[in-house]
Amino acid sequence: MAGPRESPILETNDIKEERREEVSLDKNKPEDKERERERDNNMAPPAGSSIHRSSSRPQLDLSKAAIQGNSEERDPTILLPNQSDDISSHLALDIGGSLIKLVYFSRHEDHSTDDKRKKNVKERLGISNGNRRSYPILGGRLHFVKFETHKINECLDFIYSKRLHHGIDSHSWLTDAPTNENATIKATGGGAYKFADFFRQRLGVTLDKEDEMDCLVAGANFLLKAIRHEAFTHREGQKEFVQIDHNELFPYLLVNIGSGVSMIKVDGDGKFQRVSGTNVGGGTYWGLGRLLTKCKSFDELLELSQRGDNRTIDMLVGDIYGGMDYSKIGLSASTIASSFGKAISENKELGDYRPEDISLSLLRMISYNIGQISYLNALRFGLKRIFFGGFFIRGHAYTMDTISFAVKFWSKGEAQAMFLRHEGFLGALGAFMSHEKHGLDDVMVHQLVERFPMGAPYTGGKIHGPPLGDLNEKISWMEKFVLKGTEIIAPVPMAPPGTTGLGGFEVPSSKGGTLRSDASALNVGVLHLVPTLEVFPLLADPKMYEPNTIDLTDHGELEYWFTVLSEHLPDLVDKAVASEGGTEDAKRRGDAFARAFSAHLARLMEEPTAYGKLGLANLLELREECLREFQFVDAYRSIKQRENEASLAVLPDLLMELDSMSEEARLLTLIEGVLAANIFDWGSRACVDLYNKGTIIEIYRMSRDKMQRPWRVDDFDVFKERMLGSGDQKPRPHKRALLFVDNSGADVVLGMLPLARELLRRGTEVVLVANSLPALNDVTAMELPDIVAEAAKHCDVLRRAAEAGGLLVDAMVSGQDGSKESSSLVPLMVVENGCGSPCIDLRQVSSELAAAAKDADLIILEGMGRALHTNFNARFKCNALKLAMVKNQRLAEKLIKGNIYDCVCRYEPAR
Amino acid sequence: MDHGSPSQEHVSHLALDIGGSLTKLDYFSRNNECSNGDNNEEKSCSKESLLVSNGDKKCPVLQGRLHFAKFETSKINDCLEFIQRNQLHLGGCQHGGAPGNEKRIIKATGGGAYKNADLFKEKLGIFLDKEDEMDCLVAGANFLLKAVHEEAYTYIDGRKEFVQIDRDDLYPYLLVNIGSGVSMIKVDGDGKYERVSGTNVGGGTFWGLGRLLTKCESFDELLELSHRGNNRVIDMLVGDIYGGMDYTKFGLSSTTIASSFGKAISDNKEIEDYNAEDVARSLLRMISNNIGQISYLNALRFGLKRIFFGGFFIRGHAYTMDTISVGVNFWSKGEAKALFLRHEGFLGALGAFTSYEKHGFGDSIVRQLVQQSPLSASHAGYKIHGPLNGEWNDNESIECSVYVN
Repeated sequence: MAGPRESPILETNDIKEERREEVSLDKNKPEDKERERERDNNMAPPAGSSIHRSSSRPQLDLSKAAIQGNSEERDPTILLPNQSDDISSHLALDIGGSLIKLVYFSRHEDHSTDDKRKKNVKERLGISNGNRRSYPILGGRLHFVKFETHKINECLDFIYSKRLHHGIDSHSWLTDAPTNENATIKATGGGAYKFADFFRQRLGVTLDKEDEMDCLVAGANFLLKAIRHEAFTHREGQKEFVQIDHNELFPYLLVNIGSGVSMIKVDGDGKFQRVSGTNVGGGTYWGLGRLLTKCKSFDELLELSQRGDNRTIDMLVGDIYGGMDYSKIGLSASTIASSFGKAISENKELGDYRPEDISLSLLRMISYNIGQISYLNALRFGLKRIFFGGFFIRGHAYTMDTISFAVKFWSKGEAQAMFLRHEGFLGALGAFMSHEKHGLDDVMVHQLVERFPMGAPYTGGKIHGPPLGDLNEKISWMEKFVLKGTEIIAPVPMAPPGTTGLGGFEVPSSKGGTLRSDASALNVGVLHLVPTLEVFPLLADPKMYEPNTIDLTDHGELEYWFTVLSEHLPDLVDKAVASEGGTEDAKRRGDAFARAFSAHLARLMEEPTAYGKLGLANLLELREECLREFQFVDAYRSIKQRENEASLAVLPDLLMELDSMSEEARLLTLIEGVLAANIFDWGSRACVDLYNKGTIIEIYRMSRDKMQRPWRVDDFDVFKERMLGSGDQKPRPHKRALLFVDNSGADVVLGMLPLARELLRRGTEVVLVANSLPALNDVTAMELPDIVAEAAKHCDVLRRAAEAGGLLVDAMVSGQDGSKESSSLVPLMVVENGCGSPCIDLRQVSSELAAAAKDADLIILEGMGRALHTNFNARFKCNALKLAMVKNQRLAEKLIKGNIYDCVCRYEPAR
Repeated sequence: MDHGSPSQEHVSHLALDIGGSLTKLDYFSRNNECSNGDNNEEKSCSKESLLVSNGDKKCPVLQGRLHFAKFETSKINDCLEFIQRNQLHLGGCQHGGAPGNEKRIIKATGGGAYKNADLFKEKLGIFLDKEDEMDCLVAGANFLLKAVHEEAYTYIDGRKEFVQIDRDDLYPYLLVNIGSGVSMIKVDGDGKYERVSGTNVGGGTFWGLGRLLTKCESFDELLELSHRGNNRVIDMLVGDIYGGMDYTKFGLSSTTIASSFGKAISDNKEIEDYNAEDVARSLLRMISNNIGQISYLNALRFGLKRIFFGGFFIRGHAYTMDTISVGVNFWSKGEAKALFLRHEGFLGALGAFTSYEKHGFGDSIVRQLVQQSPLSASHAGYKIHGPLNGEWNDNESIECSVYVN
């Protein structure tokens, strides 16, 4: 309640000066850039090189340019060479009766960078080069694409244009690549035999046939082990993701519904048996459906079913029993007694029935039948889990519901039907796995990050020339929809969505009655393999850890956050465009980004589980990824810079003020300072408003003055006792503290740095943990050394510690000697956290951070994103302090039953 | 087989099984007795003879026939007319011995017994006494399997082979009744059974989809068509996917159906471009195979050695039986066999017929039949591909002697 809300101080009008400054900064842009490049070259090579998480990875481009000594102006042509680090090393195909599924891996070249900060950090943290060998696999991306088999030429065009058949880089196709006469492609599915000659003639490649079942099983095993939320149950339209313990995965029944249906008992990797199957499968649905409805495609038929009413065609128990239930044997009046049974007794012809009803009857008949036979087979072998995959399902809600219902009905609730998000790609993935060196052998869940970029080569399932490789095409693709006057309601991929999981924008997303399904497939993104990611070792219980505090399965909650993000969007676009110089190109990209992100939001609003289990953290990260996709390197760059400079200017005064205090008063002031400075957050709507009403220092002072204990969550006294002890007892200082920092500017400079300094003074090693990639105005690991160096100019404690931590190696020649001599000094280090989001999922952090955590006995999480939105409920093996100012009324009410600007100081001793 | 003129025979009992597609009826008539009486006398005569029989043990007191007839349920008026014309309803029992025409009760089963109850009351003045469908099916099957010589047979590769089943070794078995839908019943003894499974893909599906796809006018016409069809035109076979090669690793030959109707997707053919015969054939195989598979899985689940298939879907149709047999054989790897019943379509009606005993009318007739002397069946032999013309077709009768304790 004591927050700076409605503070009259904020009504000041001297913001104009600030604004003028902004303008002048923009004018001086070239100079700015020059400075920046200098810094890049000299001091802080980007951290991005080991974090291949963004789809466009512009940071990488810069780094490469720096390393190669390329001093040309930065422009798109420089971007390309770096993207060529993606080597499409492997391709695998699953050529089924109806669809061709394609999986390919694009590999990143391993940069053994000369990053000195990293080298120093590594030495410090004891990461030897030998340690690198624990990551034998290279990072890269796994792409999923599909084509209709009867349009196999489109598939060949795609392979050809991506040069996938050569196993070489996808972007160097302008140069003469050597053709490999003996190139082979792993393939499975019946078509691998049928089309073998065709592939040889057209592409000059040999299809290396892999056994279909082997592939299915290998694919399913990989997905179930490597992807966190791969499996889900589906009941009455509700998807629920299921996390399956690796050790309890086997045995299970795998039901692959393609044209026909295979049922496979899986006992382990490569250990399986095809125990059953049925000839009534997806081909039956489509085949009969075509004959009966004249639909042109499988998807059209599915779409029809959503508006159908099967009661007009199916004979229900009620029809036979005159509306009565036949309850004695547990059959309700609406149970289907006989599929299509009503078509016999009436004098109707085919033309008298609605195609919608026919499609639905057919769908129910086949789904129900598959569910039943699957259950009977599971029962036979005592299998608890049944996974359904294959292209028949296509994330189609009604199909999944029907199958689930059948399994539940026949098992009397004892067995559960589960589905896989990558359902259609089991075979292709398995074929991929059959490469001798596919590089995915030991992939762990935490090493895979799934991304959902826009701009697939498809719209509505049609291929449009060569795949959209470059940004320009991607933007044009977005613009096309605007030209068409098509409102982007939701990217409902009724047709094969290609690598992005987007497409088919034109399909309206109307909702109907209970039979109406979501009309959509779950989106399949690009799997980014980041071998350097690890589980944060200090989590008390990694298995139970759930990063998200807010459960977005609550629809009201979801709607609220969507509104927040939507409202914030115009401002973000402005910032992003300005950060790129406000050029026409930047505006175009900005528009495209806004559209793309809106489409994502619309898609998720329609189908919250479309991209897997959805938490607020995912949503915020999606936004950052989307920005990066449209090559907005760092939307808040200039703002961050300006705020850093302004804050650094007043830092000496603050430090002097602090040093004049008693130990106890100082600690309280420091924590107050962290909380107060945390108000500077461009991610918060309320704070953006504040920014427009006052200068940074004013806001900071006001904010700190308003800090009145007790805070809404106030464990300060416990923390103080741990730090200072009580009475004469002086506690042992912490050995190493990990400070997860949040925003640039005052937040880090006036809040966290002074706190770090205090810890250093008390003999505690400090590791500043910052983002690998920019997110909002969050400070990045790349920017921190500069800030520390600047701060160190006015503070010996920071300087010595920074030198000891290797942060000032380049900046100060004398420091280099010092660092060797003063290795006994407590160091200040900077590590990247491995992500580019305002939140942090501690199941996937950089190896650097994981190594730094080894000796840490104190964790300080700061800011809403890292301490509230995520990790508020996380428990650690060491002491943990969570500090944040709540800058959102709803969150405040929900989380701490408080109000906006309330503060959280939560201290949790080691478990 | 001479059907005789039913009205001249003595009708003792009538029972009905009114299913979703077909109405089956069976009735008992005595031979050469009381044939001169008018209708009213017929009724009383029947009752009398039963009373007499009760006093005289171990003597055949009634010689007669069990007749079977079926109608399409959609043409139920034909059925009512048939009953009326032959005065069959008058052979039923009067409730509580009340005099005159009050409260005539006919045993009936099947869903239509509920749905059409009012119709029977209005048109014929009879009350349908509803018997549980499953009870009737099981009773009917038990009756046939115990009482009728050469009732069960296997059908493999076009060869019909009768199986004599030891009455003491009959239970447990799986009874699969394929009507419009399919019920799967585990039978453990007289009146002891459980509906363990079923499927909605049954005779109604065959006929319904078949009508839509082929414009056939009747179930039998559709069956007839299927006999001349070739499913390879429409079904996607393993060979179609694997380019003619067998997928032998899993025991799938190139002619195994990978996906029923799966070929209909890849061609640019419309429904008119396919022969109705081929469509019917594919449909029949799909449904028969599916029923065979689900039945086998259920038999396996309960460790049942025998699976009896009954119900009107089969109709003694060779290819249907063949497909079901192949399905069971394939999935059980030869360990289970599909068995069929000659009176497959009349299980429910027969069961309803036998249920009279429960209520004190005609008590023990059937039981005694069963226990003391297997019926010497003189059966008409089904016209396997005969059309169903709605009346008096496919019927047969069993000549029987009734013994009474």
